Amino acid sequence: MAPSKIEQGHGRVVLHNDGYANVFSDMSATYPLKLLSPQLPSPNVSVVYMLSYGGGLVGGDRVVLDVEVHDGARLAILSQGSTKVFKARPGQRLSARWQLHPVTTQRLAVRVAPRSALFLLPDPVTCFRAAKYHQIQTFHLSKDSSAVLLDWITSGRKSLGEEWVFSKYLSLNEVWIEGKRVAKDSLLLEERDSLPGPLTPRTLAESLAPYSCYATLIMYGMLLEDTICHLTAAYTAITVFKQHAPPPLLWSLSPICEGRGCVVRVAAKETEHVRSWIGNALKDLEGVLGVDVYRRAFA
Amino acid sequence: MDSDHEAYILLLLSDSNLPTGSFVASAGLESYVTHGFFSNLSSSSTTSPDKMDYTVNFLRDSLSTYGHSALPFVLDTHRAIEGALQDTNASADDAMDCAMARVQELDELYETMTLNHIARRASKTQGVALLTLFSRGFAKPRLSQHLETSVDSGADGRAASFVDRLKLLVRREGTHGHLPICWGVLTAALGLSVERSQYLHLFLQARSLLSSSVRLNTIGPYAAQQLLLHAVRPLVDAEMSRSKHLDTGLSKSSEVGKEDADEEVIRGPAMTWPLGEILAARHDLQHSRIFNS
Repeated sequence: MAPSKIEQGHGRVVLHNDGYANVFSDMSATYPLKLLSPQLPSPNVSVVYMLSYGGGLVGGDRVVLDVEVHDGARLAILSQGSTKVFKARPGQRLSARWQLHPVTTQRLAVRVAPRSALFLLPDPVTCFRAAKYHQIQTFHLSKDSSAVLLDWITSGRKSLGEEWVFSKYLSLNEVWIEGKRVAKDSLLLEERDSLPGPLTPRTLAESLAPYSCYATLIMYGMLLEDTICHLTAAYTAITVFKQHAPPPLLWSLSPICEGRGCVVRVAAKETEHVRSWIGNALKDLEGVLGVDVYRRAFA
Repeated sequence: MDSDHEAYILLLLSDSNLPTGSFVASAGLESYVTHGFFSNLSSSSTTSPDKMDYTVNFLRDSLSTYGHSALPFVLDTHRAIEGALQDTNASADDAMDCAMARVQELDELYETMTLNHIARRASKTQGVALLTLFSRGFAKPRLSQHLETSVDSGADGRAASFVDRLKLLVRREGTHGHLPICWGVLTAALGLSVERSQYLHLFLQARSLLSSSVRLNTIGPYAAQQLLLHAVRPLVDAEMSRSKHLDTGLSKSSEVGKEDADEEVIRGPAMTWPLGEILAARHDLQHSRIFNS
C-alpha cells in the first residue's frame, strides 16, 4: 500500500498484527524525515527509528508523522541521538526560507487501538542557540490501550557554553482516551523580552538552574500497571528534610485517570543522570518489550 | 458599570482577611525553600544574593507560569459570564445555561492541563471558597429597616443564581471548581471589567505568596511590604502584558483546519516553569510543613 505522493517531511506508520507477527502495512516518509525499522527477535514488538537527514532539523523544517498501532501490536518509536534543532544548517547563511518560516515544527499524531501499545522513547531534544522549536504530539488511545510518552529537553550544547539560550521551545502533549481529553501538557520555554520597568531581565537559565535537563513521562494502561505501582510506592516513600542546596536530581509523580496513568517529571544537572533514572524507572519494560528493545532505548 | 462601583469592588476584593483559602496555600514556595533553592545557584553574579532576592526569584518564576497558564481561563470565563449577563431579552435564561456549559468545559480543560495533584487540590479548594464568598459574603442582606426591598430580577439576581447553581454543581462533583474559573465567574458577577479582574488576580496571587514568605519566616512583614510596592507592581504589569490577551483556544478547536489549530496551540495557555511544577508536586513529601500546597 504505497502512498501515491506525500508532502515534504511527512511520514506514516501503520502497524498491524496478523495473528502470528507484526506487519507494517505502511511505512513511508519524505525528506527530511527518515524512518527505519530493524529486524527484532520478538514477532509482536516492533521498533521504528525516527531520524532526520544530517542528524538535525533547521529553522523552517516541518516534520509530520502519523502512526497507527492495531491488533494488539506493540510499537516502540526511538531516535538515534538527540534531536538537534539548529537555527540554520551549520555553515549556511540564513536563507530566505528561514526568514519566512523561522520555526521548526514536529508534529506527531498517534492512534493506539484496544490492547495495542505505543512506547515513545526518543532521545532528548537539544535546541541550539537562537533556535525556535514547536513540538505537538497527540495520542488517541482506547481505554485498554497502553502508552508511554517520553518528552525531554536539554539545555543546549554545554560544551560550547550554551545553557538555555535557544529562543523558543514549545511542547504540547495531548492524551485522549475513548475520545475524551484526559491530559494536555503544555510547556513553553522562551527567552523573555526585556520589558519597560525597573526589573532587570530574568533569563531562562536562571529560572531553570541548577538543572540542564527536564523530562516529562506520561504513562497509561494495563502494560504499565506494575511500573506505575512501583514508582508510586517509591515516590510516597520519600521524605524530604530541609536541604541547604538543591539535589542533583528531582522528580515528581502525579496520578491521572484515577491512577490508571501518571505524569512523572524529572529534572537533573546531567542529562545522563535523567537517562539512567528513566531507564531504571521503566525497568519493567524489559518484560513488555524484550531486553533488546529496552537496551536500544536506554543503552 | 461605573468606575466608582469598580473601585469599591476592588477595595472589597483586595481585603487580605477575605476567606479565600489562600492562607493555607504557598503555591510551592514552602517546597522550594525546603529543597534548598534559597541558595546561590548562579556562579556569575558578583554580589551574593540574600533572602529578599531568593523570594523575588520565586515570585517571578511562579507568577510567570501561573499567569501564562491561568489568565487565559480567567479571560474566557469572564467573557462568557459577562456576555450572558448582558443579554436582557427573553432568552436570558438560555444565555445563562450556555454560559454554564461553557464554564464546565473551561473547568474541565483546566483540570486536564493541571497535571500536578497538589496544584489541582489547592486550586479546587480556593475556587470553591470564592463561590462561597460570593453567595454568602456578597449577597444582598435582608435589612428591612434600612434597605428598600426589591426583587432582584435584573443581572444581579441572575448572577447570584448562576453562582449558586455552579456551587451546587461543584458539590455534586459535576465540575471541578478551579480557582481561575471561579475567579472569572465571581468578578464578572460583581461587574468588574476583565482587565481589572486579571490584574487583581495576579496581584492577589503575588501578595498571597509574600504573606506565605512571612509565615515561613523567610522575610519579615516590612520587607514583604517593600516588595509589594517595588517589585510586585512591575512584575504584575509585565505578566499582564505577556498574558492578558491569551485565550484558552477552546471555542474554535473543533471548527478550524490544521494550520489554525497549530496557531491556537501556540497562543494558548502553557506552563513556563517546569522546575516549579516538580517542586509543587513534591509538597506532601516534606517531613514537616505548615501549608497545604
